[in-house]
Amino acid sequence: MPRRANNSSRRTRRTRRPQRHKDVLHRQGGHRRHDFRCVGCRLDVSLDAPGTSHRNHCPNCLASLHVDLRIPGDRAAACRGRMEPLSMSVRPDGEWMIIHQCRSCGELSANRIAGDDNALTLVRLALKPLRDTSIAHRTLLQL
Amino acid sequence: MSSTDKTLSGIPNTVLAGTFTCAWCGLTVSAVAGDGTRRNHCPSCLHSQHVLDHVEGGPSECHGRMSPISVAVLRTGDWMVIHRCVRCDELTSNPICTDDNQLILMRMAVRPLAQPPFPLEAFGDL
Repeated sequence: MPRRANNSSRRTRRTRRPQRHKDVLHRQGGHRRHDFRCVGCRLDVSLDAPGTSHRNHCPNCLASLHVDLRIPGDRAAACRGRMEPLSMSVRPDGEWMIIHQCRSCGELSANRIAGDDNALTLVRLALKPLRDTSIAHRTLLQL
Repeated sequence: MSSTDKTLSGIPNTVLAGTFTCAWCGLTVSAVAGDGTRRNHCPSCLHSQHVLDHVEGGPSECHGRMSPISVAVLRTGDWMVIHRCVRCDELTSNPICTDDNQLILMRMAVRPLAQPPFPLEAFGDL
């Protein structure tokens, strides 16, 4: 998808800070780094993700698996449940974050989007609160 | 506030008391909303405090401020506010109240569209 080429994009790209360094454990031999098959759509996903050092969700359906506890790649969670995208959040620097919720234990986690994530699925997730117009209607009436 | 209940000392006062002070805007808020449900975030700025351990239940010793980061929609159509603790990065989801600040809720809901990572013009063709 082509990058936006107007002034606002140049400004945000210049002011955007680089990705925070993370101790991703598969780089240090913490667990075997391997490709995976998505639990939601059965897509075979390679672990090399553009824009992020640690892929943690399927680029097609955005589903994830509850395997890590705090550090990416620590594989410390005993749940192994399926995590489905719940909502979209935005960091102060403009980075989109997917809020995942585990289907089996209800745990929430926030994950950065990757460069090859399905744009239509991302936008559909971001538009979810606005799909039901009753709350938006009530809000606009109150302003 | 005179609600220091010694028998339930394990539970923080902010949970038991009839009112709590918002950790962000300082508003004194009654803990019970107008429709009888228990309130866990400030209706004015939607900030909350990390007083309940949401993994194991019971009180939490973090007491960090929890800032609202996102709005989630349940299958029933109800809105939930996703809070993130600024101290320990714990995420929680709480149902919204009817008297919550609608402007902040809508601002969080449309926030992703204000800063898209890719041009949204391409979706006009779909």
